[in-house]
Amino acid sequence: MAATPTPLEVRNIKKRFGDTEVLKGLSLQAQKGDVITLIGASGSGKSTFLRCMNLLEQPDDGDLIVHGEPIRFKTTRHGREPEDWKQVVQMRAKLSMVFQSFNLWAHMTLLENIIEAPIHVLKKPKKEALEHAHALLDRVGLTARANAYPAQMSGGQQQRGAIARALAMDPEVMLFDEPTSALDPELVGDVLKVMHGLAEEGRTMVVVTHEMGFARDVSSQVIYLHQGLVEEAGPPDQVLNNPQSPRLQQFLAPKY
Amino acid sequence: MIDLQGYGPRLIEGAGVTIQLAVLSLILAIILGLLTASAKMSRNWFLRRTATVYTTLIRGVPDLVLMMLLFFGGQIGVNAISDMLYYSYDIDIYINFNAFAAGVLTIGFIFGAYMGETFRGAFMAVDNGQIEAGKAYGMSNGLVFRRIRFPQMMRHALPGLSNNWMVLLKTTALVSVIGLTDMVRVAAEASRATHEPFTFLIPVAVAYLLIASVSEWIFARLQKHYDIGFGGQ
Repeated sequence: MAATPTPLEVRNIKKRFGDTEVLKGLSLQAQKGDVITLIGASGSGKSTFLRCMNLLEQPDDGDLIVHGEPIRFKTTRHGREPEDWKQVVQMRAKLSMVFQSFNLWAHMTLLENIIEAPIHVLKKPKKEALEHAHALLDRVGLTARANAYPAQMSGGQQQRGAIARALAMDPEVMLFDEPTSALDPELVGDVLKVMHGLAEEGRTMVVVTHEMGFARDVSSQVIYLHQGLVEEAGPPDQVLNNPQSPRLQQFLAPKY
Repeated sequence: MIDLQGYGPRLIEGAGVTIQLAVLSLILAIILGLLTASAKMSRNWFLRRTATVYTTLIRGVPDLVLMMLLFFGGQIGVNAISDMLYYSYDIDIYINFNAFAAGVLTIGFIFGAYMGETFRGAFMAVDNGQIEAGKAYGMSNGLVFRRIRFPQMMRHALPGLSNNWMVLLKTTALVSVIGLTDMVRVAAEASRATHEPFTFLIPVAVAYLLIASVSEWIFARLQKHYDIGFGGQ
């Protein structure tokens, strides 16, 4: 059955910063509806890996295939680069990213943030974009804040707004880069609740997170990274409840 | 009232020249400044080098010297071209290197260098996460510039920009040396002819002040506009 192409596939990604090799050959395959969580200590390379998936970082080696379409690379004296930036731009429009520090555009209201890329990148008619945006605002519980600027919103509100902005792109895959790490503890729940809902409706997601509860509840696959390599991977039951490697056992052990 | 002894219309005409010269030079300076800033932040060695030479040259040589160099040099260049056309192709044209164009080019060229520094600092002040979000949502570099980088950079650039504009406005007074009749030149001529310098110089000073005040008001409005969303409402 060769129905829909795999939304996202990365093979053997390598990346070095100066003398340190931070990713030593990482692969991942997200089928439709998969929720893949990347866990690991800080410095394990999980955020860099995620940023390589939409080429915010340029991998030094490896393949990236989005919706069946391989991204073409070339080698220049600055290193390895995409051959055709237009292809990258189109690819990025299929993946939307939620950042640790939200990165809502500060000079736009929340509503303007949400309709920005659909109108200017996807060329959606404004009316349609607005309707969609209002539905999304309702979904993340921010209808009342539509005309607020990011600086006027709490971190939790900003992050839920950022998720609405990501959803407005009707993305093939959603990438989450530690979406709750910059939040006050009491605000984390609201964001996780929204993400739970997304997982339940079958969104394809790749999530870098420290929230083990979330990873356990919604992941189809958990990948534990250590120093740029996959140390353990598998369904959450196996990886989180029955870790094999001593390092992962220690990582998961309750801290006090 | 002050009796301008018939020089009123010429003074007003001169003021028109001053304003046109200043505004056109500003536009050129902004374009050059944006290009210089981009060149300085480029990873292309040649562009960076060229931009550095340009700003060093401009900032190290007096405006007046540059203006005369460009004006006389420009005329010589134009003459050489028309000579070449005449001798080689038998085309006989005489081009007069326009003093107004020379003025705009020189002032724009000088202030482009200062604007370049202003814009570079302002671009670097924009949070990189804002730019990354644009890229991550499939925006091309041009779109990121137009929708995010430029509007967010402006609030940092405006103080320097308005400062440069004020200096630029007053620099236009130098153009009388290349034969342009701006309001300072009219006032100087009238003062000499009538032996009543204050009658002409004070209105000129007031006119500059007026232009400066109007610009300050405009810049304040712009600042308010670009501060929206940054706690400046």
